[in-house]
Amino acid sequence: MKEKGCSVITSSNPAYPAGMVITGKWRKGRFIIRRVLGQGANGIVYLVQKEGASHPYALKMGYDTLDLQSEINVLMSLQSKRKAADPLKNGPRTFLLEVDDFKGEDGDIPFYVMRYIRGSSLSHFMRKRGKEWMGLTGLRLLEKLNGLHRSGFIFGDLKPENVMVSDVGQVELVDYGGVSSIGRSVKQFTEWYDRGYWNAGSRTSDEGYDLFAFAVLIIQLLNEEELKKTAAQHLPQTRSPGQLLSLIQRSPKLKPYSEWLRRAIRGEFSGSQEALKLWKDTIYAPALVGRLPGKTPRWLMNAFALSIVIVLLAFLWAWMNT
Amino acid sequence: MKQILLITDGCSNVGTSPVLAAAHAFQEGITVNVAGVVDYGTIGELGSLEIAEIAKAGGGISRIVGTRQLAQTMQMMTRKTVVQTIQQAVNKELKQILGGTALEDLPPSQRSQVVQVVDEMTETTPLKVALLIDASASMKPKLSAVEDAIRDLMLSLQAREGMSELAVFHFPGRRGEEHAVMDSDWTRDAGTLRSLFQRLQMKGATPTGPAIMRVIDFFRYGTLDEHLTWRGSTDEGEGMLGDYVV
Repeated sequence: MKEKGCSVITSSNPAYPAGMVITGKWRKGRFIIRRVLGQGANGIVYLVQKEGASHPYALKMGYDTLDLQSEINVLMSLQSKRKAADPLKNGPRTFLLEVDDFKGEDGDIPFYVMRYIRGSSLSHFMRKRGKEWMGLTGLRLLEKLNGLHRSGFIFGDLKPENVMVSDVGQVELVDYGGVSSIGRSVKQFTEWYDRGYWNAGSRTSDEGYDLFAFAVLIIQLLNEEELKKTAAQHLPQTRSPGQLLSLIQRSPKLKPYSEWLRRAIRGEFSGSQEALKLWKDTIYAPALVGRLPGKTPRWLMNAFALSIVIVLLAFLWAWMNT
Repeated sequence: MKQILLITDGCSNVGTSPVLAAAHAFQEGITVNVAGVVDYGTIGELGSLEIAEIAKAGGGISRIVGTRQLAQTMQMMTRKTVVQTIQQAVNKELKQILGGTALEDLPPSQRSQVVQVVDEMTETTPLKVALLIDASASMKPKLSAVEDAIRDLMLSLQAREGMSELAVFHFPGRRGEEHAVMDSDWTRDAGTLRSLFQRLQMKGATPTGPAIMRVIDFFRYGTLDEHLTWRGSTDEGEGMLGDYVV
């Protein structure tokens, strides 16, 4: 939603149809709209094709010039930092292709074109692939967050909708509208994942803010029912991190990650580097690797024991008969 | 930067027009935002029109929401208004430097630098927000949600780099001539904003306009009482019925 002028509430802006050509006002680039990819807090994202090229791109049209430019500034700063760190890496890693305006019917609409990430949202991916993918997907997501933190930013509005996963589990963050510099106030957030919502700390951007949101996201993906109950049970003034901690304590599904989750909720990590290390230790711990897909059911263990007994008896019988 | 955030659920019915009062506030450099709170049914055509007009006259934003979205909405309005105010100031500067150019007219490369400045100022400019809460009878079931939303707003303001302060008022007061009552003086601490409205006696009257005028005075003089002694002779100008009925 966006307000025009002062006080008129307009419903979400209608999307442009497939086949429409978006021409840049300044650079004259032409992009053909294929379909809508999604609608964020401050713009609509389309799948487009650059005229004369076969490569698909994502094009984001902003509702507000200032908001969108602020997001573009973050992307540019990330891009230049990445280039400085590794000047040879270019091409597909460049995510910002073009920044321009489009002359719409009601005035200019700012847009930018970025690399397109084929995939589905994190929650969709987890539903499709199963919970045993949590460890690896979580690791890749933590690596992304850590990379962002090393560049001096936090993601802010971390939630499953803002994490895209390819069919082989490659992870990308999307919607950089909520990214803020470390030390500043968090620009954009969503209740459940917000540290302030749980009375667990400030809304100042620090690495722990993203780690808290990450922990809630893990709880949601592995045990959404309980999280819903916990969030609904309490009044805002009595909501506390303790409720999340006891949820972690009593949920068998969260057991493999409980130590990590507890520390993130309590804000005990010194930063995402340490959090990343513990996550790795957690998912690669020998005891866990075999167990992660779920504990071996008791009936199977009993059946196995029984079969061994039968084999032994058979051997005994055969031996006695010779 | 100064803002008034009015939280109400209907029409004013006593005293000065709230639209005029909001225009006065804007004249004083105070932006007025309005959150209309409705949980069941609608706020009515008249109510929603008044809410929109108050915000328009006060240079701010208005929204009509349920109590569930109140916290989020208040935070969004406050932030957006800060950005808007700064953007207006920056645009004015731009026009002086570049002649008739607004942010939108600049090529994207130059826009980037201007937005950097706006972002910086949005984060660091000192901010004072006076919350003015309609405590007429129909608001009673919504007040605990309002209180939570206030604490949530304080939490967001605390995270800013610039000094951010909040004060809380409700209206009407206990006696007829008391158009706004202070619940919390300027504070930077969410802890002081607990159980704000417990001793409230709800009344039917909704003197929105006069209450806004009182808060403008509070911005000027830092107290509501001083205003009473100082005003004395000019009170009549507001044309309030209850003024001298004690």
